[in-house]
Amino acid sequence: MELSESVQKGFQMLADPGSFDSNAFTLLLRAAFQSLLDAQADEAVLDHPDLKHIDPVVLKHCHAAAATYILEAGKHRADKSTLRYRIYLNIHLFSNTNLMISISVLKMETELWLFFFLSSSTYLEDCKFDRERIELFCTEYQNNKNSLEILLGSIGRSLPHVTDVSWRLEYQIKTNQLHRMYRPAYLVTLSVQNTDSPSYPEISFSCSMEQLQDLVGKLKDASKSLERATQL
Amino acid sequence: MLLELSEEHKEHLAFLPQVDSAVVAEFGRIAVEFLRRGANPKIYESAARKLNVSSDTVQHGVEGLTYLLTESSKLMISELDFQDSVFVLGFSEELNKLLLQLYLDNRKEIRTILSELAPSLPSYHNLEWRLDVQLASRSLRQQIKPAVTIKLHLNQNGDHNTKVLQTDPATLLHLVQQLEQALEEMKTNHCRRVVRNIK
Repeated sequence: MELSESVQKGFQMLADPGSFDSNAFTLLLRAAFQSLLDAQADEAVLDHPDLKHIDPVVLKHCHAAAATYILEAGKHRADKSTLRYRIYLNIHLFSNTNLMISISVLKMETELWLFFFLSSSTYLEDCKFDRERIELFCTEYQNNKNSLEILLGSIGRSLPHVTDVSWRLEYQIKTNQLHRMYRPAYLVTLSVQNTDSPSYPEISFSCSMEQLQDLVGKLKDASKSLERATQL
Repeated sequence: MLLELSEEHKEHLAFLPQVDSAVVAEFGRIAVEFLRRGANPKIYESAARKLNVSSDTVQHGVEGLTYLLTESSKLMISELDFQDSVFVLGFSEELNKLLLQLYLDNRKEIRTILSELAPSLPSYHNLEWRLDVQLASRSLRQQIKPAVTIKLHLNQNGDHNTKVLQTDPATLLHLVQQLEQALEEMKTNHCRRVVRNIK
């Protein structure tokens, strides 16, 4: 999880009991989740009476930082322990300006665990203050994990996606060029959804009975091989 | 059902008895070729020179023959009706038999050519499929998202075009179920009755 300095600063401000009391922290956290997951959330999500005493610039900064953190955690499918550990590192390890650790070090988890244990005990004491907040964050995250993953999974480009099929059976009797035709024909329409604007909303084609049998046969092969793959 | 032949048409066909049957058979071949590939004026000119008539006469003769064949094939008239229609022209027995044979031999092919003139939608040609599993994307890692990628080949007026599409397993099963129902429809009593009675 790579986060910019601005995000990390925002997150640290959020953890500071001086800037955000418990109630404000919870509210801001919930607002962050809501603005990400609720399709109808608007800007008034931060307009809560209990948050009015905080400088709006700080509020926005922290809200953005929390939202970024949540998205990064969701993207990497962080579990509870990873989350706890990383939040802790971000709040504490970077708040002490005497320590100069680059972001790349964060990726080498074993080395950091070592560092953590070798560092001064003030970190361990400090963490008691914010354990409650970390737990709160983790609980909120767990509650919203599924919706978050669904949201992230739905972002992205893919091929036009077939959503439905409709068909029409007709019996052809004559055209102006050819009388006494007397044969059945099918008109099949596939409803297609595109990730971009609806470029081809529908694909229609006609086919004879034999051709439809061929089409259905091939689709059945595909579904059979799908079944076999799931049983492997 | 008898064919109605216009005066002009009869005039054009009047050329046929003036030449022998081998030539008429050749004209028949040229007529079908005309339907398959379009007119070829050079053939008319060379035939005209050989027969010592104007190329216009030859052209009219062939066109008259072509029209006779296409109208008969379009309406799918019976042998008897064809013979009766041609009888009006007052040709010899031998020529009538030749024309009937020409009609019966080429009827199926002419009908196929005529069916291509009908308004048509893209028609199905082939389907290729592939099973894929999405493992990760830029916004979410560690996914398992199965999908079926499909390449649909369609033909329209001779051009071949392909569409690449994707669907998920649930929709695939839904598609198979719906299209199988479509095939089943043809076997129902209602459809069978319609097919039996409209002839």
